[in-house]
Amino acid sequence: MTLRHYFSLVDTLARMALKADASRYFFGYIWWLLEPLLYVLVFYVVFELILQNRQENFLVFLMCGKLAFVWFSKSLNQASRSILGNRGLIGRVDVPKSLFPMASIQEGLYKQASVFLLLFAVLVSNGYGVTLTWLWLLPVLLVNYLLIVACCLAGAWLVCLKYDFHVLVSMGVIFLMFTSGVFWDPRALPDPAMTDAVLLYNPLAFILDAYRQVLMVGTAPDPLHLAAIGAFFALVAAALFWVLQRSSQYIALKVITA
Amino acid sequence: MLELVDVSHSYVARRQSFDHGVHRVLDGVSLQLRQGETLGIVGRNGAGKTTMLRLMAGIFSPSSGSVIRRPGATCALLSLGLGFQDGLSGRDNALLAAMLQGSSRRQASARLEEIREFSELGESFDEPVKTYSSGMRARLGFTAALLTQVDILLIDEVLSVGDAAFRDKAQAAMKSRITSNQTVVFVSHAEGQVRSLCSRAVWIEEGRLLAQGGVDEVLAAYRPPQPRPQQAPGPLAGERSR
Repeated sequence: MTLRHYFSLVDTLARMALKADASRYFFGYIWWLLEPLLYVLVFYVVFELILQNRQENFLVFLMCGKLAFVWFSKSLNQASRSILGNRGLIGRVDVPKSLFPMASIQEGLYKQASVFLLLFAVLVSNGYGVTLTWLWLLPVLLVNYLLIVACCLAGAWLVCLKYDFHVLVSMGVIFLMFTSGVFWDPRALPDPAMTDAVLLYNPLAFILDAYRQVLMVGTAPDPLHLAAIGAFFALVAAALFWVLQRSSQYIALKVITA
Repeated sequence: MLELVDVSHSYVARRQSFDHGVHRVLDGVSLQLRQGETLGIVGRNGAGKTTMLRLMAGIFSPSSGSVIRRPGATCALLSLGLGFQDGLSGRDNALLAAMLQGSSRRQASARLEEIREFSELGESFDEPVKTYSSGMRARLGFTAALLTQVDILLIDEVLSVGDAAFRDKAQAAMKSRITSNQTVVFVSHAEGQVRSLCSRAVWIEEGRLLAQGGVDEVLAAYRPPQPRPQQAPGPLAGERSR
């Protein structure tokens, strides 16, 4: 299969999944925006209205973190089950197994484009001006995408090997939601050493913080750290593409006989 | 065109937690598939026929032995069951099926009207597959695979479904492909179809190849002449009548 045909298939599978998904719901494509906004609303009610959070502009702060986190979590949960979910096709045709998680990622990317547009509109309407610093969004988005690709390929592969990993993936997503500064600010921790540790060792926390630094504070994220995270996840993703390709027939057997 | 050399295939079949039982599907199977021939595979349910087709298609790799395919030879496995996305229309599923078999999006789109016409789905072609009957699904699946240009067509039981008129049409289309030098492997329980379509046959039972050669010879070995029915036939006689 040529690279061009591969990406054409990823795109077609993603578009068709979006179409099939929208046809299941009365509100159809509106759910692309409604679902992440409802997540934000739930967190807003709990942390701002009930727990009286003292974070300035908490709604915008929450949206920057939560909307990017939902992109990661939804992609990972969906991609992890994608190879198993396509066992009918896998039993009929020998195709690269990475097609299915990549199609899930692409589906998430299309949805996220509209979510980010909404986020930018909310930022502007709350008085955050568009500046040249926003150009830093491009590398931040790229690194975020590489992290999602690496985690999704790993999740899809592990769940094929042993279905038990499905539970661990879900638990891992919950763990990351609590430890990545989705609804709290790592920079506001009382211990500066803990702030450094969170941003250094949790790449997702660094990326969520980078979105806030660029969009809300107007400063660039640490470029070396960003590049290091990007390079690491690009290497992990490349290794996983190779593993999925090498074990394609083994995965087919595991999926069909599961 | 394609050769199986001493192919065995087994997998771990877990029946309960922590179980690691091994299920052997094929055991030391060797056979050759020549360019342009139609090879029939007969055997009871669970004999290993579908697994053999999946090995030929490259979907599985054998646990031992080798599957040697002519370099560049393309395969399509046509079987019933899952494979469609229920929320998508027949048109979208046909487009996806053709692309997964190697056609570009443009080539796949160009064949859609032909698929709609041959499958006789009419307006249902643009409706979700979840609204289709099993016969309509079979017609769509058969047509999408039939109109895909591949070197080796692997057919698993699909000519035995659908209404009589479509079955005749499908068989005629298959015959036309066969006479145009298409290489076909054909799994069927319908001995009449094996006799009319195949130039050679193999009999597989419990993962072992029990006979291969001329169609009449293999079918005679597979299903010996039935004894005259007794007044009170036992359960074994009932089981043997397929």
